[in-house]
Amino acid sequence: MSAIEVSDLRKSFGTVKAVDGVSFTVEAGTVTGYLGPNGAGKTTTLRCLLGLVTPTAGTALVNGRRYADLGHPLTEVGAVLEATGFHPDRTALNHLRIMCTAAGLPLQRAAEALEQVGLADVAGKRVGGFSLGMRQRLGLAAALLGHPKVFILDEPANGLDPAGIQWLRGFLRFLAHEQGAAVLVSSHVLAEVEQTVDNVVIIARGRLVRQGSLAELTSGGQTPIRVRTLDPGRLGPALERAGGEVEPAADGLLRVRGLEAERIGRIVLEEQVVVTELAQERSDLQRVFLELTEGEPVGQTVEQTAGQSEGATVA
Amino acid sequence: MKLIRAELLKLFTTRLWWIMLIVLLGYLAMVLGVVIAFAGMESGGAAPPFPARDTPEFQRIVWGQATGGGILVAVLGVTMMTTEYRYQTITGTFLVTPRRSRVVAAKLGAGVLVGLVFGLAILLLFALAVVPAVLLSGGELLVTDGGIPRIVSGVLATLVLYTLFGIGVGALVRNQIVAIVAVAVWMFVLEPLVNAVPALQPVGRWTPAGAASALTNPQADLGPVSLDYLLPAWAGAAVLLGYALVFAAVASLTTVRRDIT
Ligand SMILES: Nc1ncnc2c1ncn2[C@@H]1O[C@H](COP(=O)(O)OP(=O)(O)OP(=O)(O)O)[C@@H](O)[C@H]1O
Ligand SMILES: [Mg+2]
Repeated sequence: MSAIEVSDLRKSFGTVKAVDGVSFTVEAGTVTGYLGPNGAGKTTTLRCLLGLVTPTAGTALVNGRRYADLGHPLTEVGAVLEATGFHPDRTALNHLRIMCTAAGLPLQRAAEALEQVGLADVAGKRVGGFSLGMRQRLGLAAALLGHPKVFILDEPANGLDPAGIQWLRGFLRFLAHEQGAAVLVSSHVLAEVEQTVDNVVIIARGRLVRQGSLAELTSGGQTPIRVRTLDPGRLGPALERAGGEVEPAADGLLRVRGLEAERIGRIVLEEQVVVTELAQERSDLQRVFLELTEGEPVGQTVEQTAGQSEGATVA
Repeated sequence: MKLIRAELLKLFTTRLWWIMLIVLLGYLAMVLGVVIAFAGMESGGAAPPFPARDTPEFQRIVWGQATGGGILVAVLGVTMMTTEYRYQTITGTFLVTPRRSRVVAAKLGAGVLVGLVFGLAILLLFALAVVPAVLLSGGELLVTDGGIPRIVSGVLATLVLYTLFGIGVGALVRNQIVAIVAVAVWMFVLEPLVNAVPALQPVGRWTPAGAASALTNPQADLGPVSLDYLLPAWAGAAVLLGYALVFAAVASLTTVRRDIT
């Protein structure tokens, strides 16, 4: 049984298909990045997992059960959703004490969790005066209260400063790799999670685009070097003679494996050809993600879905 | 039980409750002042608006005025539910307690205690005013007879039930401003109307205000105003409780079930 199991999950808001048949699992001891551009359906998926949104079809299970069927949810799942959800009048400590009380957890967990996320100093301060980053930390503290073994985090790095992001990365790795927790963390910024996650699930327009281990998707860092030249007919064979594996493409582009950039540069010098580009090709993951985020403006998601449903009405 | 404690903590860890309490006591102090000042005072030969301070009717009527706090405890009840949506704390609440109807039930349970606390505070204020007013006028202080125990417990019941009524409305409406405006229009405009116009009184006695009046019916001769149309006290309590429970139950099946996004 996987810690998190989403199968053929669908959720429509009116005519908008926010999640459209997504399946993936998250295992204990791993960090999985849930990536997608704005409006891809990440938040909707996570809220389905947490019982806050009722799926139109399919299932979203934690520890093999629906969230609503967990006896003591706080001891099984820790969740961080958007950085709202605090009464501005209430102090950080009181916010957590209320959760402890309702969940039947010892009250001292509130102070301990604040300590853990570095908010001990402001425990008695009203949340209304907190910065976005402090709220994000308070949300994380709430997720830690019941010592859960599954974490579901929606864009937890939002509002954190670079030091905070660094700390969060280490913390998530610690939870998964040292404590054996299953961590599912969403983001629309690849760079934010690239150094943290073991596995990646990418969605766009509510559909699964790619999933696998980070190593698989980045092909172990073995991306070719792109060389664009005005004279590929001469440079190509020269690179091959030097032991390179050359794959010619359009417009004088050569994709070269097995040679370092510096070596290629020296060959270019020897052959005295003109070069207009010389760069390491982006990893598969980066390319997939860029295609998704750059190629598809956010607005298109909604428009397309709306257009489809219009067509359906006419037909 | 732990859920009820959590709900009480929610209320008492924010400022709203004591602001409401101060407004409530201030408002009722004003009402008390007017009633006591005008008691037994004849104006141009017309009958006095309130019986004289040394009469048992005076004491019954004054104690009954304590239900004037009803609208404010109802608003407090509304906010107990709607602030959760307003500040999206409802997300955390439902994460801790995914069976949502249990949250509504816990709020009703907490509402009983909140209504009692507010009711007792109000009664204390009234005692501080009524006791000297009666004694100074040479009247006999009624404590355990003259219908006073019935009226005082009616006041408490009314305030508790109005708190629950507010929670029910809040669960049903979710939008804080809309819910409060709805309660205010209902209690300040519609109810006084249907309870004042004799032709509408058969409807009026089934409204929350009509039901609440039944609980504190002074059974005094109020001249042109007759309260004979009201239900018996027990039926009034049942009607008021019915509103709260029906609203809460309907809400649990509808609005409370909605997606939290
Ligand atoms: N309550 C709602 N009512 C209507 N449409 C909604 C609702 N919630 C989400 N949507 C739509 O569902 C789609 C997916 O939204 P979702 O919030 O899940 O995306 P996301 O991947 O979390 O995006 P972001 O990166 O911006 O947070 C969007 O088109 C959004 O407009
Ligand atoms: Mg989102």
